[in-house]
Amino acid sequence: MTGRRILVAALVPLALAGCAGTTASAGQEAATTSPVVTATTAAPEPAGPTGQRIEVQVAGGEVSGDTGRVPVPLGELVTVVVTGDVADELHLHGYDRTADLVPGQPAELSFDATIPGVFQLELHEAGTVLLTLQVS
Amino acid sequence: MTLLAHGVGSRTDLPIPLGLALYGAGAAILISFAALLLFWRAPKLGGPSSGRPLPAGAQRVLDGPVLRRCLQAVALALLALVIAAAVAGPGETARNLAPWALYVTFWVGLVPVSLMVGPVWRVANPLRLVHRILRPLAPTAPGAHRLPALGLWPAAVSLLVFLWFELVYPDRAGPGTVAAFLVGYAAVHAGLALWFGEGWFASGDGFEVCSTLIARLSPWARRDDGRLVLRNPLANATATPQAAGLAAVVVVLLGSTAFDGLSRTVWWQTGPGAADDPLSGTLGLLGSVAVISLLYLLGTRLSGRLAGQPAGIQPRRYASSVIPIALGYTVAHYFSLLLLDGQTTWILASNPFGAPGVDLFGTYDDAVDLTAVSPDTIAYVQVGGVVAGHVAGVTLAHEQALRSQRHARASDQLPLVVVMVLFTVGGLGLLFGF
Repeated sequence: MTGRRILVAALVPLALAGCAGTTASAGQEAATTSPVVTATTAAPEPAGPTGQRIEVQVAGGEVSGDTGRVPVPLGELVTVVVTGDVADELHLHGYDRTADLVPGQPAELSFDATIPGVFQLELHEAGTVLLTLQVS
Repeated sequence: MTLLAHGVGSRTDLPIPLGLALYGAGAAILISFAALLLFWRAPKLGGPSSGRPLPAGAQRVLDGPVLRRCLQAVALALLALVIAAAVAGPGETARNLAPWALYVTFWVGLVPVSLMVGPVWRVANPLRLVHRILRPLAPTAPGAHRLPALGLWPAAVSLLVFLWFELVYPDRAGPGTVAAFLVGYAAVHAGLALWFGEGWFASGDGFEVCSTLIARLSPWARRDDGRLVLRNPLANATATPQAAGLAAVVVVLLGSTAFDGLSRTVWWQTGPGAADDPLSGTLGLLGSVAVISLLYLLGTRLSGRLAGQPAGIQPRRYASSVIPIALGYTVAHYFSLLLLDGQTTWILASNPFGAPGVDLFGTYDDAVDLTAVSPDTIAYVQVGGVVAGHVAGVTLAHEQALRSQRHARASDQLPLVVVMVLFTVGGLGLLFGF
């Protein structure tokens, strides 16, 4: 668990560098971060009895699964799992959490929903909104 | 890019609770009819000659050229800094000072500042200084005699253009967009001021006109003999000059805020605005302004007809009574943005160009605290702002009706009051999110 946190912490700066949109860093990112994503998804941990698990699939630009406005109770442990067919980056606004999306591999964002409000989860490169999290 | 409707932002407000929305709507309706039936029956608020004068020394400083030039120079330096940061700073919106400084701190912050200290942008408008520097190029201002006929219409157009950039243009939050907009805005308005004379800013510069209109609800005013005075904000609003295009400016402000609220609802995002392209956005913005305009024209003209007055003058006569309603909408939609996402400006100002190792105020590594204001507080401020704006609007319309015709019948005011109730209930509906 601690090791996973460190990996995620190491992933975030890389992901932020990817936001700058330079092609050099994007290539580097794909090379260096895919093992990290594998590590986070190798042992998919159930969100637990109190957690909320949200699953979204992206195929051919179409979003399916728990899309639209998703209500979440304040303080809940939330796990968002996204599976896509194109490499991109997940970005949850407000919480400012990111994760790399590798085609065919589920990418996971796990966090405590401690900030009330309405937040969008989007694909950074494509600009597609996957879902809107309503934390209250 | 973020798809949030307002130029930038990381969050939007939760829908207000249904109970609060219903209480707000009920209060608005109740107060409206109480105002018609129980309020004063003869004009009561002071007119343009009312108010308690400030000391002559204070007026000399406030009206003197030194203060104005200093404030304009500071504002011009800040404008140059923001443009430079937009061009040379980090390319990513989240780390670039310019979008946050323009859309949140300046545009939203202008409202509370004008409400508290008066028409601040008229005094500090940096483009007035630019015009003064360039004036030797066109000392005669060839179009000056045409300016009075235009009234405030140019400001309505100028605001609509800005609001389109802010709410519709796809790359609205990009630093490059902000730089291009600011340079374009400065060039266009400085150029038009050379043609029309310095009077252009008071009738064509959307930001200055907006600040001046909001300041009509501040206690600061200028009496008709030129003295700076403190007076009841409602009397101040009643004394707003009934310029051509005043109603257009107010309706653009109200309509654009309504569109911003509309575009945050699930109904819009999954229905008419699902494509999230410039076409749906433009139609949504223009449609919102058009609906508000039609309702407003209908209400004022019908009230005028019932009172047996010429219909043409009515929209202009009652425009100042819609300023508080527009203000209430603005508070409801942007209060949390200013207090929460507005923190970003102060964080990024610590290192405007994203240079390694620079941290002027020691805030560059701070994170925005999105829990600084609780959702309950936000909801109460939202509903309170909309209802208070409604009450002030109905009161102003009542006073205005009595001024145009002593002992005006309460029933004549009914159409306008019904339209104001629609604005308020509609505004609460947008906050509730349908």
